[in-house]
Amino acid sequence: MKLNYAKAGIVLFLMVFGFLLIPTPSHAAVDTSSYIVENLRADDIPDDDGSGLVLSWKPLPKEKRIIEYRIYRGVTADSLFYHGKVDVNVKTGVAGDEMYYYDSGYNRFVDIQSPRKLKKEKQQPDGSPIFRRLPKDLKITGPQLTNYKILGVIPEKDFLYKNTKVEITEDDETKVYAGLKLRHFHYLLKKLKADKEYYYTVIAVTESRKYMPYAEPVIGIPINNSPEKIRQLYSVYVEDKNRLQFEWIRSLFTADQTNHSLYLVNKDNLDKFNNYVEEKHKAEMDPEFETSLENPAQLIYQRYCGYPWTPDNTVAIDIINGKIINEKRDINVEIGNIEDYFAVFSLQDRAGYETFSSLSTFDIVNSSALPKISDWTVEDRKNDKGDYNAIYWEKPTVFLTNCTYLNDDKTKILVNYDIYKNVKYDKIKNVYFIVSNEEGKEITTINEFYQDSKLKITLEKPSNKISFEMRVVANGDTGEDQIFTQDLIFNPDVKSLQPGVLYLNGEEVNKYSYSVYRRNYSNEEWRLSKNTMGAQRGIVDNISYSSTTFKGVSKFDAEKGLFFVTPTFQVRMDDENENPVMTNLYAEEAAKSLDEYREEIENYTASKDTLVTEADIANADDAIEFYQTQIDLIENNPILQKAATFTNNKARLKFLEKVKTIGSRSYEYKMVKTDGKAHFAFSEIYTTEEIAKLPFNESIRETYLTLGKDHFYPIPNWFQADKLPALIATLVFGFMVFFMIRQAKSGKELYIRPIAGIDEIDNAIGRATEMGKPILFVPGLSGITDVATLAGLSILGRVAKKAAEYDTKILVPVRDYIVLPIAQEVVKEAHYEAGRPDSHDKNSVFFITTAQFAFVAGVNGVMIREKTATNFYMGMFWAEALIMTETGSTTGAIQIAGTDAVTQIPFFITTCDYTLIGEELYAASAYLAREPLQLGTLKAVDYTKFIILAFVVIGTLLSTVHATFLINAFPEK
Amino acid sequence: MKRQIPLIIIMTLGFMFVAHSFIPHKVSVDFFDWFQDWSKAISPFAVSLGIMSLFMVHGTKIKRKVPNWQYSVITLAGLIFTALAGFIWGTQSGTPYMWLFENVQMPMSATMFALLAFYIASAAYKAFRARSAEATVLLIAAVIVMLGQVPLGAMISKWIPEASTWILNVPNLAAKRAIMIGVGLGITATSLKILLGIERTYLGGGD
Repeated sequence: MKLNYAKAGIVLFLMVFGFLLIPTPSHAAVDTSSYIVENLRADDIPDDDGSGLVLSWKPLPKEKRIIEYRIYRGVTADSLFYHGKVDVNVKTGVAGDEMYYYDSGYNRFVDIQSPRKLKKEKQQPDGSPIFRRLPKDLKITGPQLTNYKILGVIPEKDFLYKNTKVEITEDDETKVYAGLKLRHFHYLLKKLKADKEYYYTVIAVTESRKYMPYAEPVIGIPINNSPEKIRQLYSVYVEDKNRLQFEWIRSLFTADQTNHSLYLVNKDNLDKFNNYVEEKHKAEMDPEFETSLENPAQLIYQRYCGYPWTPDNTVAIDIINGKIINEKRDINVEIGNIEDYFAVFSLQDRAGYETFSSLSTFDIVNSSALPKISDWTVEDRKNDKGDYNAIYWEKPTVFLTNCTYLNDDKTKILVNYDIYKNVKYDKIKNVYFIVSNEEGKEITTINEFYQDSKLKITLEKPSNKISFEMRVVANGDTGEDQIFTQDLIFNPDVKSLQPGVLYLNGEEVNKYSYSVYRRNYSNEEWRLSKNTMGAQRGIVDNISYSSTTFKGVSKFDAEKGLFFVTPTFQVRMDDENENPVMTNLYAEEAAKSLDEYREEIENYTASKDTLVTEADIANADDAIEFYQTQIDLIENNPILQKAATFTNNKARLKFLEKVKTIGSRSYEYKMVKTDGKAHFAFSEIYTTEEIAKLPFNESIRETYLTLGKDHFYPIPNWFQADKLPALIATLVFGFMVFFMIRQAKSGKELYIRPIAGIDEIDNAIGRATEMGKPILFVPGLSGITDVATLAGLSILGRVAKKAAEYDTKILVPVRDYIVLPIAQEVVKEAHYEAGRPDSHDKNSVFFITTAQFAFVAGVNGVMIREKTATNFYMGMFWAEALIMTETGSTTGAIQIAGTDAVTQIPFFITTCDYTLIGEELYAASAYLAREPLQLGTLKAVDYTKFIILAFVVIGTLLSTVHATFLINAFPEK
Repeated sequence: MKRQIPLIIIMTLGFMFVAHSFIPHKVSVDFFDWFQDWSKAISPFAVSLGIMSLFMVHGTKIKRKVPNWQYSVITLAGLIFTALAGFIWGTQSGTPYMWLFENVQMPMSATMFALLAFYIASAAYKAFRARSAEATVLLIAAVIVMLGQVPLGAMISKWIPEASTWILNVPNLAAKRAIMIGVGLGITATSLKILLGIERTYLGGGD
């Protein structure tokens, strides 16, 4: 169609404003009051720490075309800030009569991406109480700090080195804080405070982003509840070891838990215990209710819950001389006949609530009924950046995973198998399968010397059960002591044979699972590293490098734009894992604290004379003990002693940072093998003695040794040994390139096989010149990081030079905007080199769009309008390739393509006159240049291909005769 | 200097990144990540280059009133309006920007993509004409593979799906891998040429 001014104007108008004319429900006049959400409520979330509310409301009908509901929250009804949203599928609407939104745990408060200023929400009337997200402006955001629990997530280095020391005097007391700008936080998170009123409202947003009026704000008050009841406690008494074993299912909500406790309830005291639990429940429901009963159960175990990590959920307690003793927890319980007791587990939270599990009776067993843990090993994983430890045990496992019939007679089956290896046994040489039928008759023996995870088995007749005996030979071990057995059993539901239970030497392999726990210097509790099924033979434990400091934030300075956090931080636990080693960002404050602690002791000692009640005196004694411990730590801890010797605070902090890194990245391990019901075995704690490998300087190493600990610290490696074959191949290839270039430079004639596509490039350019039509060159659709694009640009340089010499116009449409300036420079330089700068048109290389098919449409338009005589497609192409080349074919242009995209090569071959297949694209530039340097490289590629081919042939022949050493010499992908 | 400085940068960084692929150490990984972040920062500047190019090409066409210059007006109007729609009303669902994307760009892209079906049919016709022995082999293989993918193949003979799988897994895969090995070597050779400064065409000019 030929456009004139009038037509162009209409098209333009329709394009720009057309969509406004299309009627949509959103454009019709609407009664906005019918879009106000109804039945809005804010209710407390049960079993939490008083930081959760659940909002519910009646969703608007589907016909209203709602795209999202936006939630606003505040502490007064007149200022509600955007908090979050619930997206809705416009077409389907919301199924059900109620929608829910959970406002629980920590969520976004403010961060560097927050808006600069506070704005009223869009399309709301004057006087509306709803605002957009809280801004970065501290004058507005700062006062909100008191309304929530605020947690600052700070990159460790920012906390240590980018803080500003701030002194604040309140009530005649001067306190020191570390001030941090908002940009020094990853983000600030907020959590609701228990027993505080929060106001909420919700607005609906329609498909056309019309913000509807807000619902009348409702009040919600989060309440601190007692912890949730765990689902199950299992108790076992190991008679011959005189040991109690417990295992429980972990609770889901753990944020405010403090202690895990285990009690024994004498059966005679059962009623008393039930009354006690009931009374506690009443007290929780009614704060006025006064309790009078004492817990008749005997505490036998207690520990910190391990938050925020996943804690160990097993405990073994030895009964020694009829007693359970734990001095640290002040436990000394005499145990009678274990059959007279129930066990009960409790969770305690910070508010002092305690929730008991259901009572559990003891399963009395002997240790022979418990699983055995084989030898296991922990070591630094090789060839990594120092962020993994490898933990492995036992020998590889082989097992069947699936079975499919290959014929209608069901006499040919394909059986899939898999192998669990580990770091020690990583090279599997053979896997032997002895297959028997239902009658026990041996059908076949298979030696899988190359493990492709498939077995093809021919049966004499269809069978409902096929038995497999399996053995793995790995790393020189014959595996004769480990015979796996597994059956394929017909399953009528799926009408196929299915793998049954796996046995190792007659024992069910997956009856038990392995739990690997780890513990570092920063926390006394064990934390779960990984849980694996019984067939697994190893895990890798990630020891991340991320270092983040979490700090509560409650003060700010709006003028200076600072949030204040306490400047104290924990370096690690002390050597006995009992007390945290704390220090201060500021050396002078750290020194002052010693005096302050002494002063506190003096004050408490003096106050004891005036105290009357025993409880107050006990509290004073506790405080004195605490401060004395702190003084002892500061005076005797080698880390703090060493830190005190630094005169420069930055050097001091660098030292402390490194020690802290060692503390948090050094782990000891333990393993538990369990059936999930307290029948478990646990290992000794696994430690190392190779502590001298730590990648720190001598002074830190010395300090580390003085602590006398032997945890695993993963070491980063400088060479990835499994890439050695790749390195050797690269070096060989590089050597060949140099050698062939020397040969070429010395004047030796190098034979290069002719490639028709490249030979025809000159003719194709000549054809365009003769016809007086332009040349089209598409340098692929991928970015500059793709080597195919670089190869395409190299060819573009040669083609553009020739075109300039012949004074033929060249058009280069580009899809990637980083490729654009490079292509422009290539074409410009080509014209200058050809001595034809005058013929260079800067607009001959032009950007179309990054959208794949819009780009094709643009290129096709160029082909048709400009009637290009020659089309080059050199680089990376996807599905658009055929659309371009078919169009070029219909315009009658001669077409030469080159790509390394295997899936597009057939289309190019079909529709183009010449195609450079795969590596020919990379060779083209050298062919066209005909220089010794380029030709030498080309020849080197050919010889390297010969070497690879030789390896392929030899490897195939060796594998055919069961010699797999060559295959095994290369790393797996 | 115009050539030497870029070449020095390319060679230095190129060899560092080659070394990086053999060095798993944190120092190497951190440097690589840091560099990646910087390279991401280049993109926004390059976008402006692309837009400038678009304006220059189409602006020239409009100014010179070359044939069909009206299309250039539409192109630029579309560009400006879409950008403005995004800046003014945002890019969320329900905004004019998303409306344009969902109701203009997506259907038009889908239309172009749909054309592929017809082009494939046309290309298949060209490819499968039994003009020579090789083309005949290609035709037979194609028929077997196509029949093997549909129930009709299995109904004709139980061997057709198996033959289809064999063609795909053995000769087809072998050829594919051969090409891939060549491509891998080609990439290595080109990278080496660039690192050593043998190949400089991409810098502009031939040598």
